[in-house]
Amino acid sequence: MTKFSLFLAFSFISILSFSQTAEEIVATYIKNIGGSDKLKSITSVQMKASVDYGGMKIPIEMISLRDGRSLMKITFQGQEMVQMAYDGKTAWGTSFMTMKPEKNDAEETENIKRSVGDFFSPLINYKANGYSIELLPNETIEGAECFKIKLTKKPLLVDGKEVPNVEFYYIDKENFVPIVVEAEIPSGEMKGNISQTVYSDYQEVDGVYFPFSMMQRLKDGEGQTIEFEKVVLNQKFEDKIFLFPGE
Amino acid sequence: MKKILFSMAVVLCASATYSQVSILKGLELFGDLKARHIGPALMSGRVTDIEGHPTDSKVIYIGTAGGGVWKSQDGGVLFNSIFDGGLQELPQSIGAVCIDPSDPDNTVWVGTGEVWTRNSVSIGAGIFRTVDGGKNWKNMGLEKTERISAVEVHPKDPKTVYVGAMGALWGDSEDRGVYKTTDGGATWTKVLYVNATTGCSEIVMDPTNPKILYAAFWEFRRTAYSFNSGGVNSSLYKSTDGGATWNKIHNGIPKGNLGRIAVTIAPSNPSILYAVIEAEKAEEKGLYRSDDAGATWKHLNSNFELTVRPFYFSRITVDPKNPDIVAKAGLSGSISHDGGKTFKGLGMMHSDIHDIWFDVNDPEKIFAATDGGLYRSLNGGTTMEMIENLPICMFYHVSVDNQTPYNIYGGLQDNGSWFGPSASPGGIEARDWNSVGYGDGFRVYPHPTNPNIVYSEMQGAEGVWRYDKQIQQVKVIKPFPVQGDPKFRFNWNAAITTSLYEPDRLYIGSQFVHRSNDKGDNWVKISPDLTTNDPTKQQQEASGGLSADNSGAENHCTIFTIAESPLDANMIWVGTDDGNVQLTKDGGKTWANLTLNVKGLPAKTWCYHIEASVHDINTAYAVFDGHTKNDMTTYVYKTTDAGKSWTSIVTSDISGFARNLQEDRINPNLLFLGTEFGLFITIDGGKNWLKFTNGVPTVAVHYIEEHPVTNDIILGTHGRGIIIIDDISPLRQLTPEVQAKKLHFFKTMPYEMDETSNFGGSSGETQFVGANPSSSAKIIYYLSSRHTFGKMTLDIYDENDKWITSLSPGKQKGINIVEWGFNSMAPMVATGKTIAGGAMFAPRVPAGKYKAVIMKGTEKFETIIEVTYPNKSMFTKEERLQQQETVKTMYVMTEELAYMVYQIDEYLAHSEKVMKENASLKKQALKFNTDLMALKKTLVITTGDNYVGAAEKQLREKIGDLFSTIGAYYGAPSATQLESLTMLQTSFTEAKKRFKEIQIAQLAKYLAATEKAGFVSVTMKSFEEYVKKN
Repeated sequence: MTKFSLFLAFSFISILSFSQTAEEIVATYIKNIGGSDKLKSITSVQMKASVDYGGMKIPIEMISLRDGRSLMKITFQGQEMVQMAYDGKTAWGTSFMTMKPEKNDAEETENIKRSVGDFFSPLINYKANGYSIELLPNETIEGAECFKIKLTKKPLLVDGKEVPNVEFYYIDKENFVPIVVEAEIPSGEMKGNISQTVYSDYQEVDGVYFPFSMMQRLKDGEGQTIEFEKVVLNQKFEDKIFLFPGE
Repeated sequence: MKKILFSMAVVLCASATYSQVSILKGLELFGDLKARHIGPALMSGRVTDIEGHPTDSKVIYIGTAGGGVWKSQDGGVLFNSIFDGGLQELPQSIGAVCIDPSDPDNTVWVGTGEVWTRNSVSIGAGIFRTVDGGKNWKNMGLEKTERISAVEVHPKDPKTVYVGAMGALWGDSEDRGVYKTTDGGATWTKVLYVNATTGCSEIVMDPTNPKILYAAFWEFRRTAYSFNSGGVNSSLYKSTDGGATWNKIHNGIPKGNLGRIAVTIAPSNPSILYAVIEAEKAEEKGLYRSDDAGATWKHLNSNFELTVRPFYFSRITVDPKNPDIVAKAGLSGSISHDGGKTFKGLGMMHSDIHDIWFDVNDPEKIFAATDGGLYRSLNGGTTMEMIENLPICMFYHVSVDNQTPYNIYGGLQDNGSWFGPSASPGGIEARDWNSVGYGDGFRVYPHPTNPNIVYSEMQGAEGVWRYDKQIQQVKVIKPFPVQGDPKFRFNWNAAITTSLYEPDRLYIGSQFVHRSNDKGDNWVKISPDLTTNDPTKQQQEASGGLSADNSGAENHCTIFTIAESPLDANMIWVGTDDGNVQLTKDGGKTWANLTLNVKGLPAKTWCYHIEASVHDINTAYAVFDGHTKNDMTTYVYKTTDAGKSWTSIVTSDISGFARNLQEDRINPNLLFLGTEFGLFITIDGGKNWLKFTNGVPTVAVHYIEEHPVTNDIILGTHGRGIIIIDDISPLRQLTPEVQAKKLHFFKTMPYEMDETSNFGGSSGETQFVGANPSSSAKIIYYLSSRHTFGKMTLDIYDENDKWITSLSPGKQKGINIVEWGFNSMAPMVATGKTIAGGAMFAPRVPAGKYKAVIMKGTEKFETIIEVTYPNKSMFTKEERLQQQETVKTMYVMTEELAYMVYQIDEYLAHSEKVMKENASLKKQALKFNTDLMALKKTLVITTGDNYVGAAEKQLREKIGDLFSTIGAYYGAPSATQLESLTMLQTSFTEAKKRFKEIQIAQLAKYLAATEKAGFVSVTMKSFEEYVKKN
């Protein structure tokens, strides 16, 4: 009996490990972090975080709304500066030289517009956004064996040309959450290099799991970590905080 | 029941995991132990193939001889490596790159294994494909072909692909010929095969009719001591039915034996073909042209550039728009503007051109692949400029010195001998490298004690030099035969080594071991001929086949490795290229041939390296390389009885034939092995090997050194330059017990705080700059599983448990390295209109012991790390103390000022609200506001911007500037700096006094009046709350 049961248990584990499709893996991920209904009910996410630059702790606040509007604000020597914002029409930021708002270039704004459906995570809304997913061979990253899912989003506009917009999600086989997301840098002098965002410290906020630590780096390079202190869901925000103040 | 089942399964899984702790995959173990590449790129390395996008000429791919595939997306200004792989083995030796014409933005095929078959050429492992522009690769088969000369993809049917497999260089093989797939590479059919000695050296497809194909076949063979190009089977074929049938197209082509044939088609007129043919008669060699799609051929030209070394230069390219402009790769490269009748040289560039590519949209723009990197011309080849960001140089050997930072010495394929630093201000730039030898460079050694003297050599020891860097004097120190000596036979890569015992001693190996005790001025032979001295392997004059090629590359029956025992000056090990292992225990008086004791090793297998152990006098490792006998097996043997018996320490974890082994000088079980396919590490004496892939691609590792002071592993790679893994000491401490722990801190040496500073280099983004080592302290720990859920933190405390700073901990399974730049936290700085740059400064901690505390959920782990001042510091303890006290004083001043401004800002905001909302209190609020504002303007900048609109500096900016000036220099502050501080202290005292006065005169009344009027009072944080950082 014991032998038989163990055999069953192992068969079950094997099935779990080997026959997953990309869709099933994403479904398990969604279930693990709070479930589809819960995620669909979120209207806004406000995250308070900080970054340490060699002993200088810089507070960061990030707000994103389901309709695609977003804001990232840093506080530096007590001064609040909007680093990146999108009001549904205009993407903008603050010039560090003049401390005044400036618009992003048209192409960047267009690319932000194309990703407005990515609220919370582009992997979660992939179907509704018309994105596609594909399971690639497993890879070990961060020492952990991961499913590797290729997510193809709407094309990006780079120097006037439509180029593929692809992200690779490494989903930890043990926990079924992404631990690394990888993409090729599409433009600028770093074009062609691979950027990685490394996630950890998943913690629960109102029934939804968020990674409270996020490191950004070039593949094989040193990283910069953002540590989240507080995540607030479904807050209401005044429209004007997202609006480009220059007009 | 379910529960029980589940827990049993878990237990079983857990025990399985435990038993596997020591055989983790490398990627689960090495973690943050990463390699850094320092190039250099100033001499770059051999580029084998250039492939451009069919319409977007900004996209260019290059294949290299040992450095993988690189891609440019900006027309050849910057290149990125796209063929590194992780655990996936992507061999770095590239034969052909082909872009799928029906999906040119995404799909690229790479045939591995270089086809320019010099003696030092690496091998491939089949064909690979990416469907996402190079981010991911899949092996598409043909693994045994060794080298692939061409890939042609059907322009409309991407599933139909033709591959030219040149095949094995060093032996017979049936895995060669023309292969075709019609299912995208799932299955392959060999559609044209000649015999086991003749491979396909080129395929071209008619751009207007994909059924028409031309294929060149070449009969060729290399051994360790000879090369043959040519035979009755070399031919040119044509198919008009997509490869189903093939016919020889030799009408007009010379009779008799043929050698290598290059063939190409004019893209603008597919009736015009060019072929470059190696034939028996000199007058028949060279360029042929067909104007009727191969039906007939006409000989046009036998110029030197068209006939030189066909095995190495056999590519001809036609301008995409003009069928009469044709460029031929060669010693210097040449170009014809009259359909091949006459040629002129291309502009100055590194010699040995392997491929030439014309920009499809602007054919005046030409790229050339050379032994010294990639060159670009904007004027049709008249002048050439080198691409300076391709660190693909090909080292044969590497050595190090004991300077700080240490230097790295080594020789390169066709690019001389060099040394350069392991660290340099702003990164290791081209200008940091120094040339110390011509020709092909091999073994380069610093004199063990005299930092000015360097030894170097060129091919076949034609030049052996002693160079004095200081006086820039060179002396040739090659040993010459004396009366009674036979001709000395030196290997292409002749064994030279310095001594561990006598600083002026030098060894060089011909067939004899020569020893000098005076830096190479005079030599004595201390051995008989230690090789097999087989005369049949000494016929190099006859080498080359149809084109004589006696360059020294085939010199054989020579000594290849010489190793003094680190434990006995009289014990010297020698390995020869014809398979002998010899040992003397009496300084060369008598020698024992131990070759037959190496059981299981095929006879005459090249002894590539002997590593005499530092731990035990009778222990040594011998690495053998059989690839020149077509034997790709890994051979690594260990003896513990001075060579009487040998045991193989090879496991199936290792791939590629091996060339070098480095023993760790502390842990005898820690060994590093360099093979044709990368770096392998064992931590259990060879029972299990792990491939190291953190920044080390599947590149041929020719030599490995371990630095005795820094514990760095330095790799001399044949295609990716110098690669360094900094401080491998954590690997010494890895035991199964350590790996079984949830978190284990590794012991670290005290970290010296680097106090040097400099202005860095001037390299632009188009020049490669090698990475510097980290100069931070490191907290190094092993995690048994990846931390994904729950909070994990890392804090630094001093010895009195005072919190210093937080760091972001690594969370990966395996080794995590967290860097700490010795800093505490920067002070809180007052808020102004602009940023006070000077105040952005986190003071350094004093030397001492610090506690690193990791919280993983509720579990606490801690370790002690020690930081010290530099050994060679010019500052006294007292001077440092004075600096630290002054910095502390200014830190407090900065924060007190910040708090004062914070209070003022709170009052200002409150009074502005009152003025706006209550007319009767307006006057009182205005007075309060105006007085505070007047004070604030003296404390911080309240106008202007952060650039040239900057306002006059106020107290915050002045304190900040002085604070960081004193803080960034570790000696005592100067008298004028202290005077300046006194002045600022006086100003600050006055400001405090003024603030107090305003508060005494107005605050209580103001607050009482506004509270009475219903305004919420000002809630002020305490100073401690305000400045709190954790």
